[in-house]
Amino acid sequence: MRVENGECRGARGQGSGARDQAPGASGQAAERGRQFINHQSSIINHQSRAGWWEPLDRALQWAGDRLNPILVKETRQALKSRQFTITFALLLICGWAWSILGVALTGPDIWKGAPGADMFFGYYVILAFPLLVIVPFGAFRSLAGEQEDRTYELMSITTLSPRQIVAGKLGSSVLQMLIYLSAITPCLAFTYMLRGIDFPTILFFVFYTVLASLALAVVGLLAGTVTSEKHWQVVLSVFLVAGLLAAFLGSWAFVAEMINELRGAFADPEFWQANAAFLTGCLSYLVLLFYAAAAQITFPSDNRSTRLRAVMLVQHLLLTGWMAWLWLGPVRGEEELLLVFMVFIGLHWYVMGMFMTGESPQLSPRVKRQLPQSFLGRVFLTWFNPGPGTGYVLVISSLLGALAMVLLAIAVKPALGFSRVRPWSPVDTGQILAFGVLGLSYVSIYLGVGLLLTRLLRLFLRVEVLLTVLLQCLLVLLGLFVPWVVQSLWLRNPDYEHFTWIRLPDPLCCLLHVFDGRSLPADVSILLVVVPGFALIVFVLNLPAVAREVQQVRAPKPQRVAEEDAQLAAEKVPPEPARTSPWD
Amino acid sequence: MTDSHPMIELRHLHRYFGQTRAVDDVSFQVYRGQVFGYIGPNGAGKTTSMRVLATLDLPTAGDALVDGFSVLNDPDRVRRRLGFMPDYFGTYRNVSVHEYLDFFARAYQLRRRRRVEAVDQVMAFTGLDVLADKPTDGLSKGMKQRLCLGRALIHDPAVLVLDEPAAGLDPRARIELREMIRKLANSGKTILISSHILTELAEICHVVGIIERGRLLAVGSVEEIRRQARQPQNAIQVRLLGTAAALGDWLTRQPHVSQLQVNGDSARFLHAGPPDAEADLLRAMIEAGFRVVAFGSQQQTLEDVFMQVTKGLVQ
Repeated sequence: MRVENGECRGARGQGSGARDQAPGASGQAAERGRQFINHQSSIINHQSRAGWWEPLDRALQWAGDRLNPILVKETRQALKSRQFTITFALLLICGWAWSILGVALTGPDIWKGAPGADMFFGYYVILAFPLLVIVPFGAFRSLAGEQEDRTYELMSITTLSPRQIVAGKLGSSVLQMLIYLSAITPCLAFTYMLRGIDFPTILFFVFYTVLASLALAVVGLLAGTVTSEKHWQVVLSVFLVAGLLAAFLGSWAFVAEMINELRGAFADPEFWQANAAFLTGCLSYLVLLFYAAAAQITFPSDNRSTRLRAVMLVQHLLLTGWMAWLWLGPVRGEEELLLVFMVFIGLHWYVMGMFMTGESPQLSPRVKRQLPQSFLGRVFLTWFNPGPGTGYVLVISSLLGALAMVLLAIAVKPALGFSRVRPWSPVDTGQILAFGVLGLSYVSIYLGVGLLLTRLLRLFLRVEVLLTVLLQCLLVLLGLFVPWVVQSLWLRNPDYEHFTWIRLPDPLCCLLHVFDGRSLPADVSILLVVVPGFALIVFVLNLPAVAREVQQVRAPKPQRVAEEDAQLAAEKVPPEPARTSPWD
Repeated sequence: MTDSHPMIELRHLHRYFGQTRAVDDVSFQVYRGQVFGYIGPNGAGKTTSMRVLATLDLPTAGDALVDGFSVLNDPDRVRRRLGFMPDYFGTYRNVSVHEYLDFFARAYQLRRRRRVEAVDQVMAFTGLDVLADKPTDGLSKGMKQRLCLGRALIHDPAVLVLDEPAAGLDPRARIELREMIRKLANSGKTILISSHILTELAEICHVVGIIERGRLLAVGSVEEIRRQARQPQNAIQVRLLGTAAALGDWLTRQPHVSQLQVNGDSARFLHAGPPDAEADLLRAMIEAGFRVVAFGSQQQTLEDVFMQVTKGLVQ
């Protein structure tokens, strides 16, 4: 604060003015404040004389200063909160109680047997509850509660970015996880000493539980950003608690199932490869959810989409990379892998497309300032701009890319000598290609029709992303079940997999029909004309709107913004050094 | 951009909530160092306009600028320049006064010594330093108001938007708050303040805007608004020996008289006539047999102007 005319001095001033003019006792208090600062300074000076640990002290101060403000605030709050104290105390009490009970139940066998695994299971349940239920729900309540108390508004108008806000909340959750974990760690070490469970197994379960807790905390944060309406928050919290309890119970089942299986698996390289693939997938979705939560609270005129689209593409590349590695390595040209790849990538882009096609086609002047303007930038990066049309094209082009990868894999297969490896493979190349083309066509049709309907709805009402997602879900449900019901009533055949031409709008039935038999059924060739043809029509119908989005060009900065940017840039330029040499 | 550009500018600002026009084509400018009093009945659109300025709400049409930056397109730059004190407190549980201000100082990217000094200065300025370790949710209303003002000031903003800062405060706290605002204005900060306590606003505001049903009815200094009104009017206060009820009846029949209020031995009314008509009125009053003890004429207060300009309509 800087109040001039001798009335109050600023944060950047020396600070005596406030004492002169502050009302009542505040003058004395200001003096105390100054003495405090002087005291702090003298400590700092003393430390600087102290010598060797000064750099460490400075580094710690630097780090403490750069900690996320929300993390600092929430840590202070948590350490004083009753909820944290009770949870932590309960965790300790339960840990101790189970230690005593477990030892008592084991009896003399504790010396000769190996009760470590049973004891570990008990401690795991004690740890998993706070990690998989309390921490994620706390993350949800933390953000939702700020919206209820309207402190979120005050926080949102500071210079904290949405990513910093979500990261701060997530950091606070991670800190809680670490504290709970540290409380139970001695007990876990105790189970290792009891024999019956090895150290890697303990680490494996703890690691995946922390990862699950992290993922659930991000889901909780995302749920906290979805709505600020109290009644919707209540509904969401009910679903969230149910989901978290399910995850908690699922983790029990997982640990109970795997606790005796893992030891042998650690020696198998494929186990680690599968874990690496799973981890990269999990982390990529964690990042996607993190950015989605940040996008939810981003100012409406800002770009909420480009970063998310970049993450989606990274996920696409990760999946492609892992599948290529599997196909070239352990699996050695197995056709089913290509099918798995196409199913995953198709579902991935369809779900992402549901959200992208709900975006507004209008770009704010702020977003327009950042549009790519070079030729290559416009060709390759335009599809990352916010907008339903660009999102639609991004989905279709990514799926075309995936299909091209499948074609490439099939083409190079004989050259790699994979063709005779598994002659018993139940699918042939034609079926795989037909599956790919039909899958791409159905995604194109459903997203395209949804996009056309959304455009129509926008003439009458304000359409949000959630409405588009619901519309897409409705379209798919209609496509899946209406033809089946009609067929069942007409032909009196309720078999879902039975294909007739009535089932043309049903992607699942048509895609399954491709695999009726050991080679491509004859009527699939008609499907391969009709469905892609219809997809092309839908795509062409959407093209004018896509073109309107693509034609938008970069807008210049307003004069005031340009002035400030120039001023800031000038401040960053170091001053010219003073001439010290006569030869300069 | 020159130094004389407005620090706050509303350009044909509209904000609709369904069929309700909360803000309907409002435009005004506030220059550096000015205190702008934003007055209007409840539901007039003051808070909505202020929320748009604070980047908490989006305009349906039009724009609002702070130091030349649009709230729509450069909210980040606006936030660096603006301190907003809403009509609610927004305090955290289990957080002390010092920790609360420290959090917001960190949130505004103030580092190390600057942050320590900012928190110290703000606590000293608002008189909260004696309560530094007290939990924020245990503060009295007046102290919470001070805390909110402190939070709005922590990053030394050039523009302050204060929504009903004196609401619910006792007289002493109101006077202290008014003094703080006066000091801030003297230091060159641009202040947009809304309040229902018009007498206090009149004392500290350079410019006043009167809003009703989302439309800005008048803007300017109190004197300018008075001139903008249909006729210039003076407020006249009369005190009699005995009851003034009969005087009230008599005054209703006199020309230029409006907004008559009779209270015991006193009557107060607005007079739209020239000064000699006021003298004639006094003479006529005495001739009519009223025993006048005091007859005072004064210019309209902000309350008078407000009552004259607004119609008491709400939406």
